[in-house]
Amino acid sequence: MAENKEAELKTIRKKLKELLVSHLSLEDVVPEKIKDDEILFGEGLGLDSLDAVEIVVLLQRNFGVEVKDMAQGKKIFYSVDTLANYIYDNQKK
Amino acid sequence: MHIAGMGIVFNRGRGLANLDQALTEGWIMPNSVTASCAGVYQVPPEVIIDKQVLKDVRRADNFSKMATLAAFDALADSGIPEENKSKLGIILTTAFGPHVTTFGFLNEILTYGDAGVSPTLFSHSVHNAAASYIALNLQTRGPTLTMTQFANSFQQAIILAESWLKEKRCEYILVGSVDQIGQVMEYICSQKLKLASDGKIKPFNFSQIPEAVPAEGSAFFLVTDNIKYNKYCSISALQQGTKKEDDLYILDSDGMCGNEECYKNITKKVAFTSYAPVFGSMLTLSAFSCMAAALILKNQKIYASPIQENPHNLNILTKNETLAVHKIKCLRYNCYQEELIIQLSRPR
Amino acid sequence: MPETNIAITGLGAVSACGNDINETLQNFSDGARNAGKVTLFESELHYPVFQINNPTLLDDPFTMRTLNLAFQAAQEAILEAEFENGFGNLRVGISLGTTVASQLNDTDFYRQYLNQGSAPMNSVDRYLKSNLAQALAQFFKITKINFCTTIVNACSSGTDAIGVGLSWLRNDYCDLVIAGGADELNRVPLDGFGSLSVVSKSLCAPFDRDRAGLNLGEGAGIIILEKETIAHKRKKTPSLFLKGYGLAADAYHLTAPRPDGSGLEQALEQALKEANLKPKDVAFINAHGTATKDNDLVEGKVLAKVFGKKVKFLSTKGFTGHTLGAAGGLEAVFACLGLRHGWVPACAGFMNIDPGIGVAPITHKTKISGNCAVSTSLAFGGNNAALVITRN
Repeated sequence: MAENKEAELKTIRKKLKELLVSHLSLEDVVPEKIKDDEILFGEGLGLDSLDAVEIVVLLQRNFGVEVKDMAQGKKIFYSVDTLANYIYDNQKK
Repeated sequence: MHIAGMGIVFNRGRGLANLDQALTEGWIMPNSVTASCAGVYQVPPEVIIDKQVLKDVRRADNFSKMATLAAFDALADSGIPEENKSKLGIILTTAFGPHVTTFGFLNEILTYGDAGVSPTLFSHSVHNAAASYIALNLQTRGPTLTMTQFANSFQQAIILAESWLKEKRCEYILVGSVDQIGQVMEYICSQKLKLASDGKIKPFNFSQIPEAVPAEGSAFFLVTDNIKYNKYCSISALQQGTKKEDDLYILDSDGMCGNEECYKNITKKVAFTSYAPVFGSMLTLSAFSCMAAALILKNQKIYASPIQENPHNLNILTKNETLAVHKIKCLRYNCYQEELIIQLSRPR
Repeated sequence: MPETNIAITGLGAVSACGNDINETLQNFSDGARNAGKVTLFESELHYPVFQINNPTLLDDPFTMRTLNLAFQAAQEAILEAEFENGFGNLRVGISLGTTVASQLNDTDFYRQYLNQGSAPMNSVDRYLKSNLAQALAQFFKITKINFCTTIVNACSSGTDAIGVGLSWLRNDYCDLVIAGGADELNRVPLDGFGSLSVVSKSLCAPFDRDRAGLNLGEGAGIIILEKETIAHKRKKTPSLFLKGYGLAADAYHLTAPRPDGSGLEQALEQALKEANLKPKDVAFINAHGTATKDNDLVEGKVLAKVFGKKVKFLSTKGFTGHTLGAAGGLEAVFACLGLRHGWVPACAGFMNIDPGIGVAPITHKTKISGNCAVSTSLAFGGNNAALVITRN
């Protein structure tokens, strides 16, 4: 079970990295080179408030996952890992 | 008001060297042919790639990128000192705004529903996004304003620039235009205008139903009342002087405003030209015509009219040659047959 | 700076708070907040909006709603200024702000084009006749108009349009200017602001500790700016004057305001300097106050910094919603009304002070005894604008 979860998380992280690059127009960023624990905002990828609301749309469209309350956003959007875990936990099975 | 610097992005490239070359070479076939349209003058995608200037504007659409590059170049061309940037205002004018992104946003509404649309697309679909990018890019904190007035757009922008400078609201202004072409707009043009099947705008035919070749681009001027920075010439939409002193009229008869018979009324006593066949048809063509005028005045060199078809026997420019020129009027009649004139001049 | 005094000789307003000024003042007094569900268009979203539900407002397929709103407010202003029989030989300028009217955002047109590769041109034709300033000139049969401009500066459009009018008059390009802004409720901004997570699911609460975003609204606010010398020639003694205008850019972000508020501070400084007045001379401020977390935090702190902790300020967006291009026009009118009648309404929607802001807006209908008001606007893209209005 744990291996299934990790395998799925790996798939989610890979897809997420590709989507972040394409959807947020992160020119010169190679998806494969983004670390799993890469911080999304501030340092790390350097995303901003407009990217945050864009990620909400990204999650909706590609994973069927909603973020109802942007106040939670800080925790969910902290890193690729936290985002992937959120997707895993909330994805409709 | 004096022109201290200029920047341009258009179908023949970016920068004043490309502008000079295009005006020298004359007319070429439109570079993009789509199903609904005989041809348009599109800005080639590689022209708006600049990893240095545009490095912090990853989300900007083509509309904002064209304007950002043209404004950047105008400022760089002017050579005004870095510390004067705090006194820099921005006036951007556009006839139709970033409609490609607007239609993209409508597409999202239809595809994903009201609750599933992209906030990034929305924030770029507003007319003033481009001016915001210019301010961001140049880090200027002065007055920044976007206006839209269809065919009167550039003339009203020049009036406002003159007004702000006279009021001393700022000492330098980046004033310019940006308009784009796109699939939906091409379709609209094919329905509302007569498109030139041979790709040639015929600016001296003064037809009831003139032909157009839709185009896109951005043209920006750095203007100031400080004569020290008068690199090119003076420009005004308010001062006309006497017609006796006019050397040249540049006509914006590009097929965008319907019936062009009113152009027959203009005085035949001066020389005429039109560079619409090089720039393409845009309601903001005046900005580009003024840029050609400024180059002519600076270099004292005229460019032949790219299309020589001249059924009314006007005294049109037929050769590229050195010539003393001091006063040029850029003239357009809008869709209400109102005369819009911008005058550019250089002391004799 | 030229010495000409620029008077304000006519006011007109239409919004969900009232179909004219009298109705608006009554609703201000009563604290009436006329928000509800949107019925102008289909929407999957359930945000409250400040829609104008007035059966006398013409809705026709040939004229954009925004234009009809502008015509209505302009008529009221022109009537007050006593220009209902025309402008004679006076040089008239028109400077109006909008967002919706400038965009070809007709979903039906686009849907048909997408599905069929073609679509009828009626909405395009309507759009081509909808340049706001041009349409107003035609409606009032103002011919030979050389100063006619539509400002599209997002949420500060109305304020900036008034600033443009001031500039023209100071330079003696015109004798009077019809200035302000108009905007209609539209699916595109509702969806767009919704996607940015800045729209509230309940009635907006400007400057409130628990504010959750804006409510969209619609309307038009128009003022007649006139050189005092021209007004005197017409045997009028104006009592309201536009004394200053400031405009400054944040150069920070496309949607978020600069956190230190320096852009707004610069605009306020400029406007007050032009008016030759100090912050202590200002009786009250009609703030932009959209009720978003970001705007109100930045704006509130700047107002406290510039005007002091006892600053008297309010947002009228609790009564009108955020009317986008119309906001600056409407709020200039409301600032004028506050000075003229000597009172301002409560900041509708506000309940609890936000400790992050540190100051609270006016909480009940309040007498105003001073002679100077300021109206501020902060726009998407980082524009900050301020007007200084005085009363004799």
